[in-house]
Amino acid sequence: MSSQLGKVVGLLLIERFGPVVEKVGTSLYQYGSSPLLHIKKRTDLPLSKVKESLTILIKYQLVTFTTNQNENIANYSLKSERVLLMLRYPKYINMIKKKFGDTSEMIIEELLQRSYITATEALLKVHERLTKNGDNVVSFSQLKNEFVSLVNAKYLIRLPVNEDTDKPVPKLVSNEKEMHILPPIDLNLIQKFKSAENVTFPDNDIYWQVNFDRFHQDMRDKIIVSAFTKKFDENAGELIKMLLQQMYIRTEPWVDVSNPIPILEIKDLARKQKSLGQLNTFFDQYVNIIEQDHSNLIRKAGEASGGSFQIYLKEAYTQFAWEIVEQSVMEKFDTKAARIFRLVKLKQYVEPDMIQRLAMIPAKEAKRLTYQLLEENFLQIQELRKAAVGGSGPMKSFTLFHIKLDLVVRMILELCYKTLFNVMTRRNHEKITNKRIIDKKQRVDTITLGMRSQGAEEDQLAEIEEMITPPEREILERIEKTMKKLNTVELEIDDTIFLLQIYLLCH
Amino acid sequence: MNEEIATNGNATETNETENNLLELAKSNPDGISNDDIKRHMPDIPLTEITAIINKCLKNGIFDLFKTKDNLLYKYKDPSKKTMVKGADAEEKLVYKIIEEAGNKGIWIRDIRFGSNLNMTQLNKVLKSLETKKLIKCVKSVTASKKKVYMLFDLEPDSSVTGGAWYQDQDFESEFVDVLNQQCHRFLVEKLEEANTKSNGPLLARNRSYATANDVHKFISELGISKVSLTVEDIESILYTVVLDNNAERIVATNGSYVYKAVNRFLPSAGIVKTTCGICPVANRCAETGLINPKACSYFTDWLIQ
Repeated sequence: MSSQLGKVVGLLLIERFGPVVEKVGTSLYQYGSSPLLHIKKRTDLPLSKVKESLTILIKYQLVTFTTNQNENIANYSLKSERVLLMLRYPKYINMIKKKFGDTSEMIIEELLQRSYITATEALLKVHERLTKNGDNVVSFSQLKNEFVSLVNAKYLIRLPVNEDTDKPVPKLVSNEKEMHILPPIDLNLIQKFKSAENVTFPDNDIYWQVNFDRFHQDMRDKIIVSAFTKKFDENAGELIKMLLQQMYIRTEPWVDVSNPIPILEIKDLARKQKSLGQLNTFFDQYVNIIEQDHSNLIRKAGEASGGSFQIYLKEAYTQFAWEIVEQSVMEKFDTKAARIFRLVKLKQYVEPDMIQRLAMIPAKEAKRLTYQLLEENFLQIQELRKAAVGGSGPMKSFTLFHIKLDLVVRMILELCYKTLFNVMTRRNHEKITNKRIIDKKQRVDTITLGMRSQGAEEDQLAEIEEMITPPEREILERIEKTMKKLNTVELEIDDTIFLLQIYLLCH
Repeated sequence: MNEEIATNGNATETNETENNLLELAKSNPDGISNDDIKRHMPDIPLTEITAIINKCLKNGIFDLFKTKDNLLYKYKDPSKKTMVKGADAEEKLVYKIIEEAGNKGIWIRDIRFGSNLNMTQLNKVLKSLETKKLIKCVKSVTASKKKVYMLFDLEPDSSVTGGAWYQDQDFESEFVDVLNQQCHRFLVEKLEEANTKSNGPLLARNRSYATANDVHKFISELGISKVSLTVEDIESILYTVVLDNNAERIVATNGSYVYKAVNRFLPSAGIVKTTCGICPVANRCAETGLINPKACSYFTDWLIQ
């Protein structure tokens, strides 16, 4: 809960839902869980508007509610982390596209856009969109298969349902067992519906939503695999990929340390894939190298059945967090500061003299950098005072530097939120300052589009195009570049946030 | 005639005894006692030995020490002693104190306490010794204003000069940086070579390890260093490479360290690619105020790039 995060959340809400919803959301963020009338009082909006905003937010599952002590009133609270996830939607869509193809991508897109829908609705929507695009139309049975495979892979889960309907504030519960049970989809009925018959579908009250956790699991795996690929090589990356795959058979996805995985299983898996010739030839050696590496992320658990290995996930997050922090120090100050930082990390508690000697940095500069790091809260100081004997003589005191990783990670996370806020503000600002030109461009574009559909001549079109003068065109190009850059950075910062968050989650 | 020969014979004999005695003293740097002499040279009359010892003490070849109730004679290099010839008692005393400090040098205050001379007198003595080129004054790197004295022909200890990394009390950080880069380059080349040439990852890894000696040889052959570097110097440089996260250090089977270039886990994170992540005034940046994202010049520069 930070004011920076609050600002980002506000900006995101305003971007997607407009200023009224934003007002309600921000009020909820600032004051925490509160009942309807309190929100009305704070926001100074008419009751109907507040209600409408809350409905929207609840629909998108950005707000949850629980009963007040008075059971007739509900307390609403904003799920800020959920709001932040909206930034990640493009990533989710992209992941599904890569893994399952275009049709599945559309299903997920539909679900993300509308938060929750029934399976039949989703199929109908996607089918409609496909026919509209005029692409080769996919049959309903094929669509159904895609949907089912998404459910089976746990990318989709059931929406929690209201348990007892007679209470004024409903309580939503989800049945663990039913989470991934397949929906009854009647293809015949869909066909009938298509031919404009009035039908009721069997899955009318079973809504589906996106399972973000599953996506995050994929994101985490991808990070781990690419980290090993970068540190060792592609073959090691493949090995880790298979190790993670096998891990899910025995282990819950978000544990600190996986259960032991017999290496023979991995070996068999690798043998089945012909493309991994290099890995197969040197399989034992790769296992050896990864196990013996300094990072210690994979450790041997036992010798039984050719040896079994454990993945130390928590350790991995910690090391990734360290790397981010170190990079941050390096870019913010310089390599020398990063060297000092890492020295403190390695030695845990260090005296200033030792820093100067081991880091091979001139005494003065070392002192300057150390205290600069201290000032910016990357280092912590611990003073040890030796009580003066008999009340006289010089006081002896030692100054020790150390690092509190949790603190630094939180600080950098704050910085990430701030950066997000800045990027978004800047983007809005650029849009506003160049509004005239952007509007003109849009007008010209619509005119050209309209004329083209009417079958206008090429020179006529060119004439219209020329309405935008070359200097204007230049500005437009610049704006486009700027927007692209800002958007990319937004996604990249989100990657950092993800890594830092999973670190904080398990500590 | 007869008498002459007798004295001659006597003289050579005395010389022999003296040499024997000197040898004995040299082999016992802690000093020799009368008992030791008696045990080694039982057949030589005591009076003769006394005469020799007296002569040596007079010439300054022997020092006389007393421990508990034992008298000890200690050998002293006469080549150093000869320099002080013609000096007065104070100079001798100060010289002796400075000499004892060895190549670590001694601070002027400590000389004063040791000699019990007053400041002006001591300064005079030191100056005269300096002009005679018997002692020299060296500035210490640990405290720039502190001067230490030591014998003229001694090489200052590395704790005084700071070792290879100091040139006139200044730390040569460029030199260290260059060496750091070269060491890293060497390790990376070794890693690449191992990866291309070796058959299998295990072999490649084992080949990519380098000892400090290997690196030392490489650096010496490069000829970038004017001063001769020791293997320990290279070790400390290599440790900075480790601290820069460019290499790892493990203990080899024989107890020494071996080094290997390593890659990091993550590509550069999103946060450091933006200006805000590395902004020096990020703490003071806010929605309103002088520093704000709308008018941020760092942002503008970065967007134009």
